[in-house]
Amino acid sequence: MQLVCLGLNHETAPVEVRERFALTEAGLDRETEMLLSAEDVLEGVVLSTCNRTEYYAVVNGGSGVAELEDWICAQRNFSGSREGVFYHHEARGAAEHLCRVASGMNSMVLGETEIFGQVKKAYKRSLDGGATKTVLNKLFQKAFGVGKRVRTHTAIQEGATSVAGASVELAEKVFGKLQGSSVMVIGAGEMSRKTARALQSRGASSVMVTNRSFDKAVDLAEEIEGRAIPFQGWEEELAHLDVVIAATGAPHFVVKPAHVEAVRRKRKFRPLIMVDIAVPRDIDPKVGEIDEVYLYDIDTLQEMADEARKRREEQLLLCEEIIREEIDKSILPAVND
Amino acid sequence: MLAKELSGLNEMMEEVIYSLFFPHPHLKGWRLGGSYMGMGIGWVVIATVLAVAGGVFGALAMRGEKPGRAAFFWMVLAFVAQLMALGWRGELRGQCPLGDLGEICLFLAWSLTLFYLVTGTTYRLSLLGVFTAPLVVILQVIALIPGSFASGVAKAESVDPWRETHAALSVLSYGALALAAVAGVMFFVLNGRLKSRKLSGGLVQGMPSVQRLVEAMARIALVGWIVLTAGIVAGLLMKSGSFSIHLLVATITWVLYAVLLGIHFVRGMPGRHLAIGLTSLFILSLFVFAKL
Repeated sequence: MQLVCLGLNHETAPVEVRERFALTEAGLDRETEMLLSAEDVLEGVVLSTCNRTEYYAVVNGGSGVAELEDWICAQRNFSGSREGVFYHHEARGAAEHLCRVASGMNSMVLGETEIFGQVKKAYKRSLDGGATKTVLNKLFQKAFGVGKRVRTHTAIQEGATSVAGASVELAEKVFGKLQGSSVMVIGAGEMSRKTARALQSRGASSVMVTNRSFDKAVDLAEEIEGRAIPFQGWEEELAHLDVVIAATGAPHFVVKPAHVEAVRRKRKFRPLIMVDIAVPRDIDPKVGEIDEVYLYDIDTLQEMADEARKRREEQLLLCEEIIREEIDKSILPAVND
Repeated sequence: MLAKELSGLNEMMEEVIYSLFFPHPHLKGWRLGGSYMGMGIGWVVIATVLAVAGGVFGALAMRGEKPGRAAFFWMVLAFVAQLMALGWRGELRGQCPLGDLGEICLFLAWSLTLFYLVTGTTYRLSLLGVFTAPLVVILQVIALIPGSFASGVAKAESVDPWRETHAALSVLSYGALALAAVAGVMFFVLNGRLKSRKLSGGLVQGMPSVQRLVEAMARIALVGWIVLTAGIVAGLLMKSGSFSIHLLVATITWVLYAVLLGIHFVRGMPGRHLAIGLTSLFILSLFVFAKL
């Protein structure tokens, strides 16, 4: 009886290969069922996310990863070059890999938390379908415990690693919770969408979108369930806002000190956070000299994201140590018994 | 028999405290009141050491997950020691212990700690303890300067309840106003870091948000102002109630705080202006009262 893990992810396979192996929710059940029907496979869990597809299996006797790889490629009708596309782990290596995946150490955005839920979901699906027994049940339970420990005892998930995330972090530093806060997005590009979405995910309730081309503002507003504002009237809304995100393609400053000065009394001098993610900049740096305005440009946000990534990377050794220690002290069939 | 043993225990503890903290011979002046005096001073020393621990451990924990908790734990212990010391002075005087510089500083430090312990948990103002502890330490060190606590204090024969209320509420209000000033200092630090984009490090991470700090500053100052109002009213009702220079200064302070808070709550003002107002008013009024 042997524990094996076979998979491909964003580091080993380009998107056109990854999408070939990606599975829908319904497809996952079918795949697990078929995996179990394969010769010598005793237990199995299939994990499929946008960046990875992995098969965890307990196989009998002589069967191993080579057979499993052939089987998977046959299932997906994949005849391309397999060189470097798949990675495989056995016994303890497979257990350690699963722990890394559950802890977010193997993710594209180091330390991201979504993967933990995705692994849990994949395991539950297999458990409900009767595809797991002693080996994988113990292994996955262990991996969830390790994932939790890694996240609570290290800084692997601390700090925002994207420009949008850094904007949210700054807004929270000024306002605390973002529940009920009002946001205006000036410009209807991709960065505007991402940043507005990130703020919404943390509770921002009212999002307004303004753009020189009103149609684009309407499209983005519809997409993010916000409200489109004509570009000519955006200054009037400034009195009620908490966060302004500027990301237009304008070659000159769109937001000037006079705009903010005009509404300070009306705003009762409440803090206002302004995030300028445009190049050339949309917000005159002099706006940041106004007492209650906190102005950040793309360089500051990028620096924050880079620092957070660096801090997370520095945690990797500590995370590895936790995984080693946890696996050493547990008794896992087909891993260390 | 038991009293004799307790007295022996007191003397032993006094010796330990003196040998630990006051090895220098000129500090022996504190012994004037006998072992009971030594015990009382001992509590002030313990409260000061605990407040130092609160500040130091809180600052060290800033790199950790919960900076506020480390300071909070030590400040709770400091608060208990302050209570014991105030109990000692209160028993000596037979009235509210606000008769000399040492007692006023100790009472103020106690009031500041009390408001921190209440506010720190209510507003979840982690790090407030780290900023509060130094002020508590300074006040208690002033109290510990030989001569700050009057020796040979006579027990009061009669007590004017309005005078007692006035003194207690006034110093209590200053505890709250001091805490508002401490929150103001925190605001300066956070605001400076956010404005200059120095965003990394435990200091910024452990701080509450700008909005929360502004709210806390204003609300704590409002509580202090309300208590000060009650203190002034009690002062006017004192038996020997003449409108003294002391009461005049207190009233001017009251008016200035009222104007500042009125502007903040009605018209609004930038957080930095509120922080400047609260810290400068507190420092100014403290100097004026010290002169009086």
